[in-house]
Amino acid sequence: MAAVPVLFVIVGKNEPLYEAEIDTSTGIHSSSSGDLSTRQNYFVLHSALDLVEKSAWTTNSMYLRVVDKVNHQQVSTFLTAANVKFMLLHSGKGEEVVKNFFNEVYQYYVKLSMNPFYKFDTPISSKAFDTRVRAAARAYLS
Amino acid sequence: MSRNASNNILDRPLGFRATPAGRSSDVSSVSLSAFAYVYSELVQYHQGRAASISELERRLESAGYGVGLKVLECVAYRGKEMKRETRLMSILHFVSSSVWKSLFGKSADSLERSIDNQDEFMIVDYEPITSTFVSVPQDLGQLSADAYVSGIIAGVLDGAGFSARVTAHNVQVEEGENSRPPTNATPGMPRRTEKAVFLVKFSPEVLERDATLER
Amino acid sequence: MGFLHLFIVNKSGGLILHRSLGPRAPSIGTNDWLRIGSTFHSLHAIAAEASPVRLPKNKNPSGADDGIQQIEGSGVTLKCLQTRTGIKFVLTAEPGTTDIDTALREIYVLYADCALKDPFYELEMPIRCELFTSAVDNLIERLEQSKMSAVR
Repeated sequence: MAAVPVLFVIVGKNEPLYEAEIDTSTGIHSSSSGDLSTRQNYFVLHSALDLVEKSAWTTNSMYLRVVDKVNHQQVSTFLTAANVKFMLLHSGKGEEVVKNFFNEVYQYYVKLSMNPFYKFDTPISSKAFDTRVRAAARAYLS
Repeated sequence: MSRNASNNILDRPLGFRATPAGRSSDVSSVSLSAFAYVYSELVQYHQGRAASISELERRLESAGYGVGLKVLECVAYRGKEMKRETRLMSILHFVSSSVWKSLFGKSADSLERSIDNQDEFMIVDYEPITSTFVSVPQDLGQLSADAYVSGIIAGVLDGAGFSARVTAHNVQVEEGENSRPPTNATPGMPRRTEKAVFLVKFSPEVLERDATLER
Repeated sequence: MGFLHLFIVNKSGGLILHRSLGPRAPSIGTNDWLRIGSTFHSLHAIAAEASPVRLPKNKNPSGADDGIQQIEGSGVTLKCLQTRTGIKFVLTAEPGTTDIDTALREIYVLYADCALKDPFYELEMPIRCELFTSAVDNLIERLEQSKMSAVR
C-alpha cells in the first residue's frame, strides 16, 4: 500500500501558524502544493475547524481524538492550554500513536513559546521547530 | 556560547537551568534582588513613556500579558495531565495555585468571589514580589506597582478563553488579618501594611458560557 | 544613651535625608541641615587631605575614600560610614551608645533595598521612600529595645 502523506497544521485564533505535509514512508516531504489532493486535504482540515470549536468546551482534555472523518481520512485534534489547535489529517492511525505525536509536538511548541522572540499566535518560522516536528512525525506515524 | 544543535532551545529540558558544567538543578529560582532591579528598570522605562498614572498601569499590564500567555502553556505542560481548564472556578484555582506557585513559589493567599457582583473575583496576595521594595510617591497616588502581575493574570485567563479585565489594587491590611510571619523581605524590613488585591471581572459571554456548561 | 540623628549625604555633598531618631534629639531646621550636610562633606574631604598619613589611592580598607570616621564630643558622638560610591551615612548619638556601627551597616543595607530597588527613587536625589524611613525607625526601635533588655 502506498503511504499517504499526513498533513499537520497548527491553527491560532485567526490563521494557520504552521503547516507541514509529511510523507511518513520515505521521510521526504512532497512539495506539490498545486496538487489536487493536497488542496483537498487542506479543505478537509479547515472544514473540521468548526467541529473543533464545537467540542472544545465539552471536554477538559487537550486531546480531542478524531473530530471529523471524510472518506478514508480522519482529522485528529489536540488543543493546547491557550486553545491553539494542532490538527492532523491521516488515514486511520491509532489513537495512542497520534496522542504521543501530539504530546511530542506540544513539548516543542511550549519550548518554542518560551523563546522571547516568538510572539503568541504568530506564524512559526523556526527551522529547528520544523525539523523536529517532521522527525517526530516519522518516528510516531510511519 | 557555541550555537551547536544541543544548545537549541527545543532540545533543552523545560524549567531546568543548564549549569556551565552541564549539570542541571531541580529548582531554578531567581533571587528577589535580581528580580527587584530588573522590575525597577521596567517600571522606570515605562514611567518615562507614560503620560498618566493609568497609562503607566496599562503599560505594566501589557508587559505582563505576554508573560501570562507563556506561563499558561508552560504550567499546563508541566502539569503532565494534559488538561485544559474549561470552567470558571477551575481556571481561577489554576491561576491562584499552579500559576502562582510556578511564578512566586507559593499559592496566592486567598481567592474570593465578590459579594456585590457575580462576575467579579478577587485574588489576594499579602506580599507580592513586585512591590516588595517599592514606595509609591505621593504624586502618583493610587498607582499599584503590582499592575504587572494583574497583566499576567489577564494573559493566563485570556489565553485559556476566559477574557477578563484584571486590575491591581493596594488595600490596607487590617489588624490581625494576616498572622503569618513575613517571608521574603530583608530582616529588619517593616511588616507590609498593604496587600495586593487583583480584581478579576469576567466578560459577560464567559459567564454565559459557564452557565451553559453548568447544565 | 540613645541615637539622636541620621543624615545621609550624596557624593557631591547634597543632603538627601535627615531624620531625628529619638525624643532627645535637638530640633534642627531644614536649612541648617543642608548646611551641616555640606559642611560635613567638605570637612571629610579636608580631613583626608590634612592627614599626615596617606593611604594608597586615598582609599580606606573598605574601599571608600578616606576621611572622618568618628567625631567625639562631650555631649555627642558622630559616626560616619562612607560607601564606595561616595554616599555618607552619618549617625549622631549620645556618648556611650553602643551599636552605632551595626546600625550604620544595617541602614546601608536598607538603603540598598528600599531606595535603590525602588523604581521611583532617583540616584543622588533626596530620599522620599516611605518604606526606607519606616524601616529605619523599625531598626532603631529594635536596637533600643535589645539594649533595654540587655540592661535588665
